[in-house]
Amino acid sequence: MSIVPKETIEVIAQSIGIPNLSPDVALALAPDVEYRLREIMQEAIKCMRHAKRTVLTSDDVDSALSLRNVEPVYGFASGDPLRFKRAVGHKDLYYIDDREVDFKEIIEAPLPKAPLDTAVVAHWLAIEGVQPAIPENAPVEAISAPSESKKSEHGKEDGLPVDIKLPVKHVLSRELQLYFEKITELTVSKPDSVLFKEALVSLSTDSGIHPLVPYFAYFIADEVARSLSDLPVLFALMRVVQSLLQNPHIHIEPYLHQLMPSMITCIVTKKLGHRLSDNHWELRDFSANLVASVCRRFGHVYHNLQSRVTRTLLHTFLDPAKALTQHYGAIQGLAVLGPTVVRHLILPNLETYMQLLEPEMQLEKQKNEMKRREAWRVFDALLRASGKCLYDRLKLFPGLLSAPARSPLNKSRLAVNLPNKRKPSTNLSPQQQPPLKKFAADPTASSLPPIPTPANFQGASADGYPAQPSNSGIAPSSSSGQMANEGITGAIRRDKGGAGGRPQNVSAVLSQAWREDLDAGHLFASLFGLFGEAIVSFVPLPEMSLLP
Amino acid sequence: MEEEELEKAVHAYLRKKGFKLSDLALQDQNRLSASSHNDLVLTRLENDPVRYHDGYSKLRSWAYSSLDLYKHELLRVLYPVFIHCFMDLVAEGHMQEARTFFHTFREDHELMHLRDLQKLEGILSPSHLEEMELARTLRQSKVKIKLCEYSYDLLLQYLQKTQSIAMLGIINEHINFEVSAGKPSSIADDADVVALVGSSQDEAKQINQKEVRWGLLEDSIEERLERALSDSEKADVESKEVDPEDNKKRSTDGGKQGASIKKLKKDKLVGVTGKNVRSETSMVSMAPRVKPELPLPVMSIEDEQAILEDLRNRVQLSSLALPSVSFYTFINTHNGLNCSSISNDGSLVAGGFSDSSVKVWDMSKIGQAGKTTTVQGEDGSAQEHMLNSDEGKRQYTLFQGHSGPVYSTTFSPFGDFLLSSSSDCTIRLWCTKLNSNLVCYKGHNYPVWDVQFSPVGHYFASCSHDRTARIWSMERIKPLRIMAGHLSDVDCVQWHVNCNYIATGSSDKTVRLWDVQTGECVRIFIGHRSMVLSLAMSPDGRYMASGDEDGTIMMWDLSSGRCVSPLMGHSSCVWTLAFSCEGTLLASGSADCTVKLWDVTSGTKALKMENKASSGSRLRLLKALPTKSTPVSTLRFSRRNLLFAAGALQKS
Repeated sequence: MSIVPKETIEVIAQSIGIPNLSPDVALALAPDVEYRLREIMQEAIKCMRHAKRTVLTSDDVDSALSLRNVEPVYGFASGDPLRFKRAVGHKDLYYIDDREVDFKEIIEAPLPKAPLDTAVVAHWLAIEGVQPAIPENAPVEAISAPSESKKSEHGKEDGLPVDIKLPVKHVLSRELQLYFEKITELTVSKPDSVLFKEALVSLSTDSGIHPLVPYFAYFIADEVARSLSDLPVLFALMRVVQSLLQNPHIHIEPYLHQLMPSMITCIVTKKLGHRLSDNHWELRDFSANLVASVCRRFGHVYHNLQSRVTRTLLHTFLDPAKALTQHYGAIQGLAVLGPTVVRHLILPNLETYMQLLEPEMQLEKQKNEMKRREAWRVFDALLRASGKCLYDRLKLFPGLLSAPARSPLNKSRLAVNLPNKRKPSTNLSPQQQPPLKKFAADPTASSLPPIPTPANFQGASADGYPAQPSNSGIAPSSSSGQMANEGITGAIRRDKGGAGGRPQNVSAVLSQAWREDLDAGHLFASLFGLFGEAIVSFVPLPEMSLLP
Repeated sequence: MEEEELEKAVHAYLRKKGFKLSDLALQDQNRLSASSHNDLVLTRLENDPVRYHDGYSKLRSWAYSSLDLYKHELLRVLYPVFIHCFMDLVAEGHMQEARTFFHTFREDHELMHLRDLQKLEGILSPSHLEEMELARTLRQSKVKIKLCEYSYDLLLQYLQKTQSIAMLGIINEHINFEVSAGKPSSIADDADVVALVGSSQDEAKQINQKEVRWGLLEDSIEERLERALSDSEKADVESKEVDPEDNKKRSTDGGKQGASIKKLKKDKLVGVTGKNVRSETSMVSMAPRVKPELPLPVMSIEDEQAILEDLRNRVQLSSLALPSVSFYTFINTHNGLNCSSISNDGSLVAGGFSDSSVKVWDMSKIGQAGKTTTVQGEDGSAQEHMLNSDEGKRQYTLFQGHSGPVYSTTFSPFGDFLLSSSSDCTIRLWCTKLNSNLVCYKGHNYPVWDVQFSPVGHYFASCSHDRTARIWSMERIKPLRIMAGHLSDVDCVQWHVNCNYIATGSSDKTVRLWDVQTGECVRIFIGHRSMVLSLAMSPDGRYMASGDEDGTIMMWDLSSGRCVSPLMGHSSCVWTLAFSCEGTLLASGSADCTVKLWDVTSGTKALKMENKASSGSRLRLLKALPTKSTPVSTLRFSRRNLLFAAGALQKS
């Protein structure tokens, strides 16, 4: 009829030894054969379902046959599914690929392994609805797509935090492994060698090292934590980071979260290196610049990157319990992030901070020379940060300095300090000019000045910074009265006798200054108050003319 | 004989009309074409009234026993054949035969075409046929029946083979077949066709009007716990001088208060539990109570205490608090695992294998032995030696006794007994404590597809390829009830929580609910489009979930017999379903290697609130938990609401 034609019946008849089956018989048999076939299939499918399978096996057909009291078909080993092959030259003719097997082969073949016995193993498919990422569970990619679409539907209702970490399979070539080992070894053992410099070059240019990035990230994080007391290694590690960041072929973004903590550590940790002679300041500056570059590069992709960095740094900066070295790092870190950051985060706190810093810097209050030196370092960093900020402000709003700036200055308490208060800039005292020029012309010098000792500071003040030392010593009482009147002041917090309200006033002005962008003049004034003459060096040259 | 008569009649007719030439021609033709004649003409002239009866009854039994796939199509043919047989008999004047014929087969069509039948019943003489409007239109018009190609072929084959000329004549005369190529139309596609014998929509409707008392059993342990709780609470309140409202309540159920020392004991047990248990059980406690129709076994005190302990430690699940799932993976099954089951506390896992064996693992022991097995895997040299030493005590207990593939296993509520059903037509009861076979229950005539212990133990239900489901008790070797009515294999069976009903799912694509006491079918659930593979009853007894071969899960309201909502999501056979203990979640396990968790409360609540609007919000999928290429064959919520799942790892 429809599927089994009578020719098939004839062929089957011939195959079982009935050479001449009459066409009538074949015609009558064909539909019945088809019906029986369908019946057997129906029963076989039932057997398959009850064996909880979705693939039909010859066992199912045998069970179906026995259900119908028919002798099963012998000779089909179950287990693997039957392989059908297409007959050559026919579109839809298939036959079972039945290999001829040599007895000898079978007899001589070694015995197959005994099949393992059935066992039951238990694992957690889910714990309170969340699938743990264990090898027994399906890899997570399989479900990530539907889970996302589902999240959009029900996300707000059940709000289950789905924290999916994609398992990554890495196959590292032997070469890469060797490369990694070599580099790490160099970093740790010979950070000064020429080879290491070459390695850095390789790291910053090689295009094939992407698979190693996670390992480097881990290595750096690990090693920084381990060798905090070994400055050269730390420096080397930071250089590795720098090289990796420079490499244009590396997609470093996913690993930033691993690298950032190490870098921040190198900026603000309490103690870097174990010897006094270790120039950890340099490392802090270096790392700060690295962080700044990362923020600049990836800030637009990860909006919270810079805010997180600044939060960490600010936290350190504002914590009086932290060591001065840490403060230095924090200030440096913030400073390199740009004048806006400085204006918003450092300047409002400057006033109070200076009060803390003050005693540390004075010879009579802080006997420990190291500590004092550190304090001066911090002071220097602050000066630079604020100065740059001021410079930036004044560049932006050049006209602002004139009127407001004059007002605090014209009543300055020290004639020595600003003797020519109402004179144009050309009248600036000649001994002030050289340092100004020097600073303005040589920014590198200003960013990394030599370590100031009280002695050479004194020297400096002799040839152009009379204000600070003199203020500290000479005029506490004389200034206080005028300052209080002015509200904004050139006074230094060192005069302890100053009116109680003054600091508040000053900080109020400072905060106003950063709030009201236009009020750069006040900014200058208050900075001048805090840093004295040193700040003047940051006033851009054209604007200098506006100064009295 | 017949031919001669025919020829004579034709000749006489032609001669009478004066067609001599044609008469001669006919004679010539008859001589040439020997005995080949037109069956249709022949039937007209045949006068034996018994032929109609025989022909129809044969056709009917043939249609009933045809392939499942085509059965519903072939059954459509029966009704028109029936009425025309009757009218032919009447027309030929065999009134007596016509009446007996009509009454013999009337039942088949009563529910579907009751009105027509009542009208036709009134035909008492051939002249009535002319008079009656209905009969006339029936005689004149042809019935259209849609069939698929293969059904049509089958029908023709049958008619030719059996030479049932009367039937062939009627079919030719009164039925127009619309033969469509391809697969047979599905039952659900056109609602007003007979779904399957005796389960037409009308009949189903009528059956579904019977009352189903779906409430929970009176005096169940949950209820007692609940009551004990409220008692203790009341006692607390009472001691602090109660408000009058509470007193009123007390007086209303004062009758029950006559409770005893036993309750006092329970108070002590329960006192610790606090209010969380109360809130959990509250949903279940809302359900009405019914009396058990079966004598129930007595629970031992230890068992009762174990249950109480579990209830106290039950985790409350909801759409926000999803369960933990412990998965038991069968490895190295070599495609031989047919079924698995997990005991109520999850400590025992049984597997039924196609090699006729049943294996039981005690998971609490495996935990300890597991260490040695993992060590074995690591170094090859030690492996064999250790295996040998281990050989003495296998990891599992092997139960051998069946002589065919084991298709189902089930643990008794406390895990001390195990039942297994097999293709050797028997069910065997095993004792997990003695590790031996206790009873072999024989009764089914074909492979027993499924067996399930009742929620209270002692009784169990089985279902088989012989199209019956049977109720047994452990102590009798013969079945207590036989439920017959499904039109194809009964594939799965499930007890109602109150033990008064069982539900069966079948290859005829319906689910039926049976009264255990009377053995009657009380509900027919029509809606699945393929073989029903799994069933689960909600703990409050009101809802039932059924899963089919296509991956559809349907939620049914037992009281109305209607589908609450279909749950779409699985892409392959739903092997197993389980409700969480407080009925808020439904877990489903499928051949597509996932466990899915569904929020059941949203759908059922919506239905409760707006009973009229049949739409009912879709039950939503809460979570799909994919396994690692392991089809999920069994799911089971423990009394503490931990979900156990099991399946055999499939090698890709």
